[in-house]
Amino acid sequence: MEFVSPEGLRLDGRRPMEMRQIRAQIGVVAKADGSASFEMGNTKVIAAVYGPREVQNRSQQISDQALVRCEYSMANFSTGDRMRKPKGDRRSMEISLVICQTMEACILTHLMPRSQIDIFVQVLQADGGTRSACINAATLALADAGIPMCDLITSCSAGYLNSTPLLDLNYVEDSAGGPDVTVGILSKSDKVTLLQMDAKLPMDIFENVMQLAIEGCKAVANYIREILLENTKQLEYRRGR
Amino acid sequence: MGSSGASGDLSGEMEVDAFRRLFPLRFYERHLLESVRPDARPLGRARDTTVALGAVATADGSAMAKIGCTTMLAAIKLEVMTPPLDSSDEGSVAIDFHMPPICSPIVRPGRPAEVAPVVSKQLSDAIISSGMINLKELSLVSGKAAWMAYLDIYCLDADGALFDAALLAAVAAFSHLQIPAVTVNDDGRVVIMSGENEEEEESVMETPVTVVLDSSSRLVSLYKPGGPVLAYMSAVQDCVALTRQRVKELQKILSDAISDMEVD
Repeated sequence: MEFVSPEGLRLDGRRPMEMRQIRAQIGVVAKADGSASFEMGNTKVIAAVYGPREVQNRSQQISDQALVRCEYSMANFSTGDRMRKPKGDRRSMEISLVICQTMEACILTHLMPRSQIDIFVQVLQADGGTRSACINAATLALADAGIPMCDLITSCSAGYLNSTPLLDLNYVEDSAGGPDVTVGILSKSDKVTLLQMDAKLPMDIFENVMQLAIEGCKAVANYIREILLENTKQLEYRRGR
Repeated sequence: MGSSGASGDLSGEMEVDAFRRLFPLRFYERHLLESVRPDARPLGRARDTTVALGAVATADGSAMAKIGCTTMLAAIKLEVMTPPLDSSDEGSVAIDFHMPPICSPIVRPGRPAEVAPVVSKQLSDAIISSGMINLKELSLVSGKAAWMAYLDIYCLDADGALFDAALLAAVAAFSHLQIPAVTVNDDGRVVIMSGENEEEEESVMETPVTVVLDSSSRLVSLYKPGGPVLAYMSAVQDCVALTRQRVKELQKILSDAISDMEVD
């Protein structure tokens, strides 16, 4: 099947280095300490952060830092066919762990000992790149909750089909069986915290694809920074300054 | 809120927020004396309600309903199944209500909300018993194939009035539902009421009563799950009267949402 036409257009009309449209909103869940919704094309994700709060299970309490927990779950209607088991299956548990460890890399946990920070991510619509959308939403939600972080983590995926590196795969391109590289970086310091790849790829092409994904992450980081600045301006305005 | 009450407590010297946390019942009683609620609403008025149809593009029918901060996302997915022998020319509806951990600080993984299965059952009963959906319309080939409609409702933010918002979202999703090759119009839309409340109010209330009316103001369901005895029948009648008013409001909101969809 052809994923990149001879004119250089993908199945949804994008160019190979073009990301899908991103949209984000902060404060969508009133009850949560911090929350955000993040959309990458048709992939829609909501993240809510509760914390720092008392540790639920005393035996897991860490005396010199905060405990970070994450749960990833998909709505029954989020994928093409209705899902029977939206959480507790292997894929969801793996992604929960990935998000947890990625966010832990940037949260200054030593500032909040003996407490717990819960990050919950709910996928409402899945069209490829859910992992990245979840990480981006979690970053925004943590910022909204005012949890101290050393940097903003952003994530994006890239692949390689029809001998072309493609940025931000959607579901059809993802399930084509080609390689899929997901990268998560600390945006200011340019350091990689998350790097996952499956399928086969020669080393030099891998570097190109990874670089493309990093460019995508930087674009997301710029957008996230704009959203946060806008949010802060709104808060200042409401405070009457 | 600064004046000292007749009771000899510290209310005069304490800050409003502290008083609200420590003496919730007295806090609400103070407001009720003035016939108003803490967010300045009069007793009979509901919070801002909005309905948006087609919130989930991948579903056959969907809607997002908000009452105040409470947000519900309902989506319907159709699957073909073989109908059972005793209802061979009818389809079927399966209703599921979920409260994921994002919606509230009291829901944690491994400790699901107690109220979720209760609301799920209430919704199931209200929707199926009201006959709002004509199951015969879901049939494809009598005895061989019929549609199974899976309705999933996710609570994205829990701030009281869960059943109301969920029912509103469910009804809106059904009115948005388009069966492939056949369009569904449901007759007699079911609309809900309540003296609806935020979560805090609900936690100090002694006994909530839920009344469901359909569009011709016939009583569809009445739900008062135990709790202290209601002193007078007139309390129930007041509830029904409030419902009737709310029905009109909600019908307008729903029909506005539907006509907006049709214009697009």
